Amino acid sequence: MNPIGTEPYIVLSMVLFLLGALGVLMRRNAILVFMSVELMLNSANLALVAFAREWGQVNGHVFVFFVMTVAAAEVAVGLALIVNIFRERQSINIDELQQMQG
Amino acid sequence: MEWLFLAVSFVAVLAAAMMLTRQNAVHSALFLIVNFGCVAFLYLMLDAPFLAMVQVTVYTGAIMVLFLFVIMLLGAETTTDTSGRMRWLGLAGSVVAIVLLLIFAFPIASDMLADESPEALSSRARLRVINAIPGGDAEVFTVMEMGFAMPLAGTVSANVALDALDETMADSRMDGIVYGDSREAVRGYTEFEAGDYTVLVGVDDGNYVSGPIFTKDLILPAESAFSLVVFENDEDLVDVALLEDDISAPAVGMMRLTLFNAVTDRQVSLVDVGQYTARRSLCEDASCNSLIPHRTLIDQLPAGEHTSLELDEGTYNLAFVDQDQNVLRTLADYQADRGLIEMRVLVREPGVPGSQASYRAAVYHAFGVPAFGSPESVGQVLFIEYVLPVMLVGMLLLVALIGVIVLARPDALAQAERRRINRRRRVNRPLVSVISQQTGSDVLSGDYLAKLPGGPDDGSAE
Repeated sequence: MNPIGTEPYIVLSMVLFLLGALGVLMRRNAILVFMSVELMLNSANLALVAFAREWGQVNGHVFVFFVMTVAAAEVAVGLALIVNIFRERQSINIDELQQMQG
Repeated sequence: MEWLFLAVSFVAVLAAAMMLTRQNAVHSALFLIVNFGCVAFLYLMLDAPFLAMVQVTVYTGAIMVLFLFVIMLLGAETTTDTSGRMRWLGLAGSVVAIVLLLIFAFPIASDMLADESPEALSSRARLRVINAIPGGDAEVFTVMEMGFAMPLAGTVSANVALDALDETMADSRMDGIVYGDSREAVRGYTEFEAGDYTVLVGVDDGNYVSGPIFTKDLILPAESAFSLVVFENDEDLVDVALLEDDISAPAVGMMRLTLFNAVTDRQVSLVDVGQYTARRSLCEDASCNSLIPHRTLIDQLPAGEHTSLELDEGTYNLAFVDQDQNVLRTLADYQADRGLIEMRVLVREPGVPGSQASYRAAVYHAFGVPAFGSPESVGQVLFIEYVLPVMLVGMLLLVALIGVIVLARPDALAQAERRRINRRRRVNRPLVSVISQQTGSDVLSGDYLAKLPGGPDDGSAE
């Protein structure tokens, strides 16, 4: 059996999630914001897999599988949007995309 | 193991931090790939090899290639990041991150995770009862007195009484356990909470169950599987044998065969006779000086005992042989399918008195339980329990694909704009009134028509 318990994995996933959240808040490049979101999804997956082993249930793995699928779909659509926005405005700085601001 | 985890997680955190601080977006993407690779390695350490491979394929492969492709397509490697106006967001983000870290760290610091016991969910034990009495004993089977010669009619009802009081008796009954190779009836194990049980087995004559013919105390540990075989022993008494079944998946390309010998006075061997089929004996001649070529798989199994072996997949000609080299039963063209877990119970069937006894190798299947986190286990859960979500996620991917194609059409926006302008320019008035408005003269009046070439007063016509 694996000698490492669940807690270290949860701590690591927590740290990665916070780094991702920090990236979303701090970076203005839309692509980097996207990458930070991927980092957050990944850290959540890591926590799910760790808990799946803790409880001996494969359902956690299945959930991770779904998250990966949704992430792939989201990245495809999001990057297509970014390409279109860049074509329109020659910039992907999210501070300059303010036309939806109320 | 600890140092490996520490090293990998250090690299993961370092790569994430580098990703955040690089100005060049391509460098950020490459550091994110390192981070995803580290997470895939951690999945391997967490007994999730399938997810590790999916992580490498989908995340570090497909998604990151998409990112790099878009970055390079747009030439957006060095987009200036700080617009000055929003610089305070960095400070705010740091504060939010520290607060979140404290909130998340609180349960771990106060040991709230360790209080739960993970054994609560995985404490199931499996039990099945196998009736290996072919209905030949009038003391046990009343159906014999009704003149049934066919052995399939005998039933034994098992009553599993629980020590735990919270579970009702009805849930723990296994009714109508019929002799024979009735796969549907015996294939599935009944699941119980792990613990100590007393099993009472009574005779079922179809109308009511009469008193327990035997009781047996069982200890069912968690994650175990047992077969309780009811058979006749040497003194023609009903006896029970408790077999612990190995229901872990067999080695790759193998099947597992368990043999239980319920023939009282014989020691049974299982041999692979190759092409020599349909024989009554293994002997070459009547004096039995030599045996036909064969390969012994199970040697001299005494009555009431069991043993198991793993067979390569393929087709075999198997024979059950007693200690005098008499072939009791043959299994011609026996298909050994990979991953199969099979139990054979060899019993003597009561024939017509005076005739030769016939033997039967009743078959009981079991599902192999694949190793935790393996592709088989994930696939079983994915396509049995979660079929509908799988379909919905597949639909989502399809919709996303169509959406991307629509979004990325080269001039989708320009076309929409053109369509809008065209709609505005559409005119509902007759063309002549438009012309008259633009030229300032009434094109329908006679003197204007006269000036036109080909008109009534056109000089060129003369």
